[in-house]
This record gives sequence, C-alpha cells and structure tokens, in this order.
Amino acid sequence: MKQGGQSFGSHLRSLREAKARTDPAFSLRQLAQRCGVTPPYLSRLERDEVAPPSEEVLRLLAAELGEDTDVMLALGGKISTDLRAAILARPKLFAELIRSLKDVPDHAVLRLVRDVADGDW
Amino acid sequence: MPTLENNALVFRFLEIDPEARFSIDFQRTLRIPDSERDYPLPPGFGRFPLRHVEDYAALPAHTRRRGGVILPLWQAEALWLNFGGGWGGDLPVAVKVAAGKINAVTGETWTAPLNRNPQDYVVWPEQPWLDGFAIEPGVIRQFVAMPLGEGYSVEEQLTEDAEWGGLQISVTPMRREAWERLKTSHSVGLMEEVAFSMSSCASAEMGLGAGGRMRQSIESDPYTLEDWDQRATQRVFVTLWHASRWRALTGEPVPTEPPSAEDYARAGLPWFQHYGRGAEPLHGSDRLAGVKSVGTLHSEKTETSFPGSHDVATPEPVRLGPGAKGPREIKHGLDW
Repeated sequence: MKQGGQSFGSHLRSLREAKARTDPAFSLRQLAQRCGVTPPYLSRLERDEVAPPSEEVLRLLAAELGEDTDVMLALGGKISTDLRAAILARPKLFAELIRSLKDVPDHAVLRLVRDVADGDW
Repeated sequence: MPTLENNALVFRFLEIDPEARFSIDFQRTLRIPDSERDYPLPPGFGRFPLRHVEDYAALPAHTRRRGGVILPLWQAEALWLNFGGGWGGDLPVAVKVAAGKINAVTGETWTAPLNRNPQDYVVWPEQPWLDGFAIEPGVIRQFVAMPLGEGYSVEEQLTEDAEWGGLQISVTPMRREAWERLKTSHSVGLMEEVAFSMSSCASAEMGLGAGGRMRQSIESDPYTLEDWDQRATQRVFVTLWHASRWRALTGEPVPTEPPSAEDYARAGLPWFQHYGRGAEPLHGSDRLAGVKSVGTLHSEKTETSFPGSHDVATPEPVRLGPGAKGPREIKHGLDW
C-alpha cells in the first residue's frame, strides 16, 4: 500500500533510518530483535520484497518507531482488530458511512469524532 | 474539547493551526521506593486504557456529572503523564495538571486561569512528561494511586476532604499571532529537537498520593502570559477507578499489575534522566513539600512498612532531552 507516494517498505525504512542516525538501538538487527522478527526479514520488508507483516508486528514497529498505530496498520494494508469488530457489528452502516466521508476534508470529519464530554467540576 | 484516540486524549486547536495536535497518554510504570533517596525516571510500560465516562451508567452520579474519561489502576500503582504532539508542527501548549483539584505544580486549589506568580502549569514541548507533585527545585514526588477516603491522597491531606480524587487537566494553546512569530524564528529548530527527544478497598474511586522522590525539573515558561490563548483552553476530568472493579464496570479484562522496582532493578533495565536546556527550574511547592508520602502514612496507620519501600540499586541513568537524544523508553508488554 502506498501513501503520499511512499510504499510501506520505504516508509518503514525512512522512519528507522531517521532514528538510527542518532540511536544505534535502531539498527536493522536491534529493531528486528525487539519486534520478534529476523534482520533479513525486516530488510526484505523495507525493500517491499515481502508482504507487510502481521498486525502484532505492525503494532510493535509503530510503537518502536513512534508512528501512529492506525497509520502503520493502514500502510501495511491491515485494519486493527477493534476497528474490524466495530465494522463487522454494523457492516452496512459503516461501509456507507466511510464511502460517504472519503472525500470530506479532515476538519469536517473531525467534527464527527466524538468529544470527551466535559461536565461539572 | 479533546477526543479519545488509541487511549490518548487528543487536543486540536483548529482555529489556531489546523494541523496542530497535542496528546496526553497515561503511562503505566513501576512505583519507585518511598525513601529519602532521589530516583531517576523509570520507564513507561504502555498506556493505561481510557474510556468515556458517559458510556457507563453504573458509575456514580457525581462521576457521570463530571464527564471526562475513566482509567483503571491498582492500589499503590504509579503513573506518569506522557505529552506528545505530531503532525503539523509543535504548537506550544500550557498544561495545568491537578490531582483531587490540587495543582501538582503549586499545591494550590484548582483555578481555571493560568497563573504566572507562581507558575501553575507546565509548557510543552519544553516539558515532555510529568511524573508527580513538584516539591523542590528539580525534585517531584511520584503520583501514586490510593483509594479515596482513606487519607492518603494529597487532596485529603491539604483539604481534609475526599471530594474529587482523579486528575484534572487543562490545555491552553499559544495565541495564533505568537505561534506565527515563533514559527518564523529560529527557535523552532530547538523545539523540534525537544519534541524528537521525547521522544481490597472500600472505594473504587482513587486519588493520587505522593510517592517516592524523583529527579524531574518543572521548567519555567519561556513565553509571556499574553502568548497563551486562554479563550481556547480545553479541559478534562480523569476519574481513577480501582483496577479490581474494572471488569465489573466495563466488561473488559482486568489490567495486569506492573512489576515492582525490585523486579525491574534485578533485571538490570535502564532508568532515565532528562537534561533540559538549562533553564531555571521552578522552585516547587512548599505546600506539597509538607505533604506526607504514601509510605510514611501507611507506616503511621498500620505500623508496618509500605511494600516496596526498600531502596534498589539503579545504574547510571540514560540521558534524554535536548542535550541527549532518544525518547524515554516505553516497554510494551509486561512479560519480560
């Protein structure tokens, strides 16, 4: 999947390399180890030679690299378990809602996001 | 008002900068020993869950009236506030934090406006996180949850009442004109660097008491009071709910208990120290300095020592902040 012209692999690589410039803990080997994958596999992911990994690995990568989890999952062509459950509970309604919102500007979509209610304190 | 996204409170100020975004999540952590020693910063163990109060009809009426969010934690569990930005630049914000409506920086009762003398708020991105009550220059006492009504919370000690508990937070953005000026000045480079570096009880309601001593400076506001747009302030009440009652309320699994400082130290894992820009830290609150710690109160009440009070060995802390790169470590999963 591509976003802003960047593939999943190149996005992953640019995030990791930016961190690695100042922190050796973000070498291919060390990051792979922390995310429970092998360095060659991570390298192939970065070169888009294999399909994006599981939701679990995407979440670990997002946490390690400081990327938003939903963005990382979307780039990896996945939908998080909680979102999938929400859609499956009311598939027709949510499919319609997402289609109707796909071209709506961000600020208008944000008006639909539920606020944290403030009360009397 | 803020939104709730991936267990973080997200504040947007579309009228000031449509791209700006500030978030607060609440990090699980270990409780440092409640002794006279000053500890470095412990890591985070991931975000506490947050849920909308209005979704749970079983909550007491007074909790529902306050609105906001609910967060589960265990008795004597510690937490820290993790501040973050992201997306289109780092619009500075002034963040007021109170526990039981006692300001965590000044020890005074909550008031809505920002005050400068003494400063009763922290400024992000200068302040990347907050772990406790400011008691001395460069020293805080860790936020530690205890059941409300048992006399442990700072609120109960200072007001002799257990009315509020929880955490109260307000976030005030910089005025648009001041933000425009700042963006065009070279100090934005510095700010980006800072942002990168950040990288069995009677009551289910919890209040925050004062735990062990930790080295953390509260940085003074580098801007003027007029730079803050107080008409755009957003606020939220965070109710702290005993983790043992979480499943009954929400139907969700009970959160696991965090490791002890002893377990963590035995595993030889890192501690942290933040190095700011060398700005003068705030003095800390004499009122808060006079508060008894949770461990001291426990000893007085029960004549037994508080669990986890023994000092632990800590290695040289990892340096973080403008003078040293790298985010404060957040370990996901507690199965190490």
